[in-house]
Amino acid sequence: MQPEERAVTGVPGFDAMLRGGFLTRTANLLEGAPGCGKTTLGMQFIHYGATHGEPGLILTFEQFPEQYYRDAAGFGWDFRELERRRLLQVIMSSPEVTKADLERFNGRIAGLVSNMGVKRILVDSISQFERMTDDPVELRNLLHGFLNALRREGLTALFTREAYVLLGDEQREEDETEASMSFLVDSYVLLRYVEIESAIHRAIIVLKMRGSAHDTHIRQFDIGPHGLVVQEPFKGREGILSGTPQYMAESFIKAFVRR
Amino acid sequence: MERENLANRAYTGDIDPDLLDFLNQYVDSFIKWDLMRFFFNNPHTIDTVDNIARYAGRNPEAVEQELAELAMRGLLEETHMGTLVVYALSADPEIRDRLSRFIQASEDRQFRIRAIYHVIKGGY
Ligand SMILES: Nc1ncnc2c1ncn2[C@@H]1O[C@H](COP(=O)(O)OP(=O)(O)OP(=O)(O)O)[C@@H](O)[C@H]1O
Ligand SMILES: [Mg+2]
Repeated sequence: MQPEERAVTGVPGFDAMLRGGFLTRTANLLEGAPGCGKTTLGMQFIHYGATHGEPGLILTFEQFPEQYYRDAAGFGWDFRELERRRLLQVIMSSPEVTKADLERFNGRIAGLVSNMGVKRILVDSISQFERMTDDPVELRNLLHGFLNALRREGLTALFTREAYVLLGDEQREEDETEASMSFLVDSYVLLRYVEIESAIHRAIIVLKMRGSAHDTHIRQFDIGPHGLVVQEPFKGREGILSGTPQYMAESFIKAFVRR
Repeated sequence: MERENLANRAYTGDIDPDLLDFLNQYVDSFIKWDLMRFFFNNPHTIDTVDNIARYAGRNPEAVEQELAELAMRGLLEETHMGTLVVYALSADPEIRDRLSRFIQASEDRQFRIRAIYHVIKGGY
């Protein structure tokens, strides 16, 4: 049997949660509240690939490419230089155009895959697809087609999606897209804010990973000068890491419990 | 008439001939100028008239003709994808290089004043 191939994310601690990285040629969903670090994690994944022999694309539907160049520079990642070296391209477009492009024979994205040897793509964010239709069945088909087209191109894809709950323990609304996306994708990662004694922490969990074992613990993460760093897990109610008060672990667990 | 030409030359006389060529070739309106700056800052944009207009904060009617003209003159690429017409910056390195020199030059206030005057005058 071939050893399974992994797309290492380069996010300290996160790769261990994924047992080495995302499986290559898979569709991976990263969901979280506004500002909790989805784009940063995505850029880190693309930056790691571009500097380790796996060129990448960032497909943006809402944020201007100039903003990625600037935000990336804040973490010490020189995206403009990577573009010059043809290891990266930050493309601004819309879901309709992207869909039409992928349906064409030899579209632009396919061209970049063959010319630049693109292996990874960050789609930031998939939420924009939701304005293409009000019909959940049609939306599901659209997303399915989009994911399959990226797989066909051999890409390891990371999709961000905005979750409408801010803090993990808020009441959740029925969310059709979430239901179909979580079914369509190969892995599903959740970022959450956790409030403990009026301080906000960030936490991450891998909810699902098709074809691989994965960490089932909730972990805290920080956004530092070089991007995300995932901490050691809370070990549940009994095996709490030394120094971690019990109520803190409970807050983290509560933040991810579905209602 | 004569006097106006002289005044015109006084303003444009100091523009580098390549940049003057570029102005004459592509920049006959401020919307075009704006669109060029947008494509320069976001060089891998590929989208429809409506979306580009939205990114640029203009109305689609104003932008449509300008995009079509820039495509006709080779600065942009126009692609038909099914029913969609989409625009992207030309991949030609020479064109990208000239655009880059123009946008960089227009960061200089003196140049900008001359170039604006030139656009208002309708060139030449
Ligand atoms: N250079 C930096 N150093 C440390 N933290 C930073 C830096 N730049 C940004 N951040 C943090 O990253 C957070 C933003 O993360 P990011 O943009 O990845 O969130 P997001 O989930 O994509 O948000 P949105 O839903 O708005 O797209 C900010 O709240 C800020 O705290
Ligand atoms: Mg974001």
